[in-house]
Amino acid sequence: MSSELQAQIRTTLQNQGLPVPSLTWIQSAMPNRNPLPPLPALVATIKTRLLAADLTTPNLFESPPPALPSNLGNPEVKEAKLPRDVPVQVLDIENLSKSKWDQVEELEAIARGEQTRGREIIRLPTGNEEDEDGGAVSQNASATTGRNAAVNANVANAAAAARNATHRLVLQDCKGQKVHGLELKRIDRIGIGSLNIGEKMVLKRGATVARGIVLLEPATCTVLGGKVDAWHRAWMDGRLARLKEAVGADARG
Amino acid sequence: MRVLCVAEKPSIAKAVAGHLSGGQVQSVSLKSHIGPSAAMLNIGLLTHAQHNTPEKYIKNYVFEYDFGHPWGRCHVTMTSVLGHITSAVFPPEYKRWDHPPPDRLFDAPVNVIIAEDKTKVADNIEKQARYANALCIWTDCDREGEHIGYEICEAARKGNRTLDIKRAKFSNIERAHILNAARNLIDLDHKQVNAVSSRIELDLRIGYAFTRFLTTNLRTLGGPFEKLVLSYGSCQFPTLGFVVDRYFRVRNFKPEPFWSIKVMHKREGMDVNFSWSRTRLFDRASTIVLYERCLAAKMAKVTKVQEKPTKKWKPLPLTTVELQKMATIFLHMTGQQAMEAAENLYNKGFISYPRTETDRFDSGMNLRALVQKQTQSNSWGEFAQNLVNGGFQQPRQGRNDDKAHPPIHPITYVAPTALSDKEKKIYEFVVRRFLACCSEDAKGVATDVDILYGEESFHAHGVVVLERNYLDVYIYDKWTGTAQLPKFTVGETFEPTEALMTEGKTAPPNYLTEADLIALMDANGIGTDATMAEHIQKIQDREYVCAVPRTARAADGEDDDEGAPTGRGGGSRGGRGGRGRGARSGGSTVGGRGGVKEFIPTKLGVALIEGFDRMNFETSLGKPFLRKEMELKMKAICEGRTTKEAVLNESIRQYRQVYLQSQEKLNILKAACRQYVLQQNGG
Repeated sequence: MSSELQAQIRTTLQNQGLPVPSLTWIQSAMPNRNPLPPLPALVATIKTRLLAADLTTPNLFESPPPALPSNLGNPEVKEAKLPRDVPVQVLDIENLSKSKWDQVEELEAIARGEQTRGREIIRLPTGNEEDEDGGAVSQNASATTGRNAAVNANVANAAAAARNATHRLVLQDCKGQKVHGLELKRIDRIGIGSLNIGEKMVLKRGATVARGIVLLEPATCTVLGGKVDAWHRAWMDGRLARLKEAVGADARG
Repeated sequence: MRVLCVAEKPSIAKAVAGHLSGGQVQSVSLKSHIGPSAAMLNIGLLTHAQHNTPEKYIKNYVFEYDFGHPWGRCHVTMTSVLGHITSAVFPPEYKRWDHPPPDRLFDAPVNVIIAEDKTKVADNIEKQARYANALCIWTDCDREGEHIGYEICEAARKGNRTLDIKRAKFSNIERAHILNAARNLIDLDHKQVNAVSSRIELDLRIGYAFTRFLTTNLRTLGGPFEKLVLSYGSCQFPTLGFVVDRYFRVRNFKPEPFWSIKVMHKREGMDVNFSWSRTRLFDRASTIVLYERCLAAKMAKVTKVQEKPTKKWKPLPLTTVELQKMATIFLHMTGQQAMEAAENLYNKGFISYPRTETDRFDSGMNLRALVQKQTQSNSWGEFAQNLVNGGFQQPRQGRNDDKAHPPIHPITYVAPTALSDKEKKIYEFVVRRFLACCSEDAKGVATDVDILYGEESFHAHGVVVLERNYLDVYIYDKWTGTAQLPKFTVGETFEPTEALMTEGKTAPPNYLTEADLIALMDANGIGTDATMAEHIQKIQDREYVCAVPRTARAADGEDDDEGAPTGRGGGSRGGRGGRGRGARSGGSTVGGRGGVKEFIPTKLGVALIEGFDRMNFETSLGKPFLRKEMELKMKAICEGRTTKEAVLNESIRQYRQVYLQSQEKLNILKAACRQYVLQQNGG
């Protein structure tokens, strides 16, 4: 494998507006196949791996890495602008327009297998039946998948309904620095269930940072996609307990 | 030819006999055991009524009437029953509660017998049938009425196997309508009969099995359970389930603070309040950042000014569910009281049949003539006169049509002095609603002003009412909150007089009112429009829930939210329990707050629902799903999509399954009873 090929891949990624990984990382992410697939397929593979990677992986970027300025989170600074494009990954997302308790009630209804449409209570289809017949899958796991499917379905509805919702994200750069991002103007892809944990974004040069919070708007924030599976699953599974804890409710399900 | 006519109740028999005979009617008390022709000769000798028996209410009216083709001119005997005459019962060997075990009732034989208190009613029909060539059913035109019609047929056939049987289709007892029905007889609809007999059989089996199961099994818990009969009904329990569910939503509620930005600008002597497009955020720091940026921007810019005509729509034609909801909100009556009063008004011929799902008038109906009849009223006569003089508008068309009855509407004018207090209120409501339907939407001009203040959008809305129209007669609707806005021009900038960051707190939802409960039952297919009020009454009679006047709690909630412009805990209060179809105006529930009662479950009610919910999520008896399925199956029978046998098989299998599961997990139910009723830590 020539380093020329990796440089070619790197250029293609760059042209697609993705953060540019190091040649070393590209090398490590190359599929272990001989002969290698054609370039477009290869680029697609590398792109998927990049978007699924943890941005804090050492040597993911060439030095100096594209990190946030170290004093960015300072609440004393009324307004600053981001000096350069910075790739970040999503660690957490909150809908600030909806009370936590409302979200708790919604999640609990889904856990009971119910959902409301206006006043009507709807019984959700249960996805567990095949699993029970199969018998091999542990019950816990099957229950979780069934429920998650329901959560996702429900979340899609909720996102569509809440067009004016304001979200706050916890974002992390390649150095592991965390910063809050607040939706100043609506970005359609940001929503609980539609935005994944571990999903990658680019905060563009010139983005406003107010009191240590990055103000997100379509002009200065690009959502690239991707997801870190393990993080996303853990976040989904722990969401109800976190919400309950936050409002001071008994969290024992 | 001799025809026997039978109505569902005496008042209808009397009215129909009056119309068909043209006043030439002879009445004979039921004691008469002789044929109609003999009775005619002996009028006057047979006027003594029997006392202390139900049939004292029943009279046989004898007259002549020409039905047209094919019956022609007939000797008619008109009588009535008193509702259902048969009842479904288990054989005597199933009398004991402990043995055979209650689940045997799922497949025990069911006998349909003449109810004990109806034997004389049935005898009368059987005897009169002997002299008749034909039978004409005049029961109410709904599912129950169809079944009662069938019961009458069966009773009549005992006396005479060769009867020609027809049915009259009518929805009020106004003269022309009745004469028209008599000339256009139809056949009894056996699909509807089958639907009702399925329902009766299922209610009997399921109700008995679970009532015995609950009562005998929980008796062992001792304390209050020793003497309690725990009645189960497949509508009652889901109804109770709604009350318990809301109770826990109120109890478990966690208030949360929220913050908002409120902008006010003085212009032309008016305070114009702008509300934040984000409404509110559940995070203080984020709100502060956004607020600070507004202040930093100093100037606000007008981005949109729109002035356009607006309307408040007149109400839809009146259905039973809507009547009950409105009565509980505005007339200080329970749904059941409202239905009783409406039933009386119908029996006296003042309003149309009060059990209807239809919210659209047939285009063939002469509504103007009905409006005309109301012109003599002191209260709304002038309004009606204006409609007659050209203000009349065709009512809006709703989406529901039960194909049996028109929306509830007044048939004739009646002076309020001739009515009881409750009837008066219901009559007035029905008339005002009807006149509103025949009137015009209220009209006004709405002004919307959007501003951009820093990066944040704010919005002001003003309405000026120009024509009140239907609102003049329909006193239950309000169109207030109307404010005029001063002049704003797109592109202009101004420095707002005031910009404040405000704080509020979410408030719990309210306990269910009867109107809420009816709406929930309606949306979830629990009961029919005709029976909902009964179920609600029943869960109170059983002491599963109690109705208490709304406390000062609601007022507290308002204090909490003060200072929050969009306040009132919006999402949390209205939220999912909030309003759906039917209640367009947010103000409607507030109007009659004075005497509003809320339903709170008793400890027993909570224990039963919690017990079943904890046992099994899929088919808990406290949830509406099973019953809803059953109601849908009844509908399917009526539409010919399934049969009585298939429905019985399937529903019995489902409920038996639940029964077996409940038996298996009885300990969970007992634990819930110990926890909530006996206050032991059994849970």
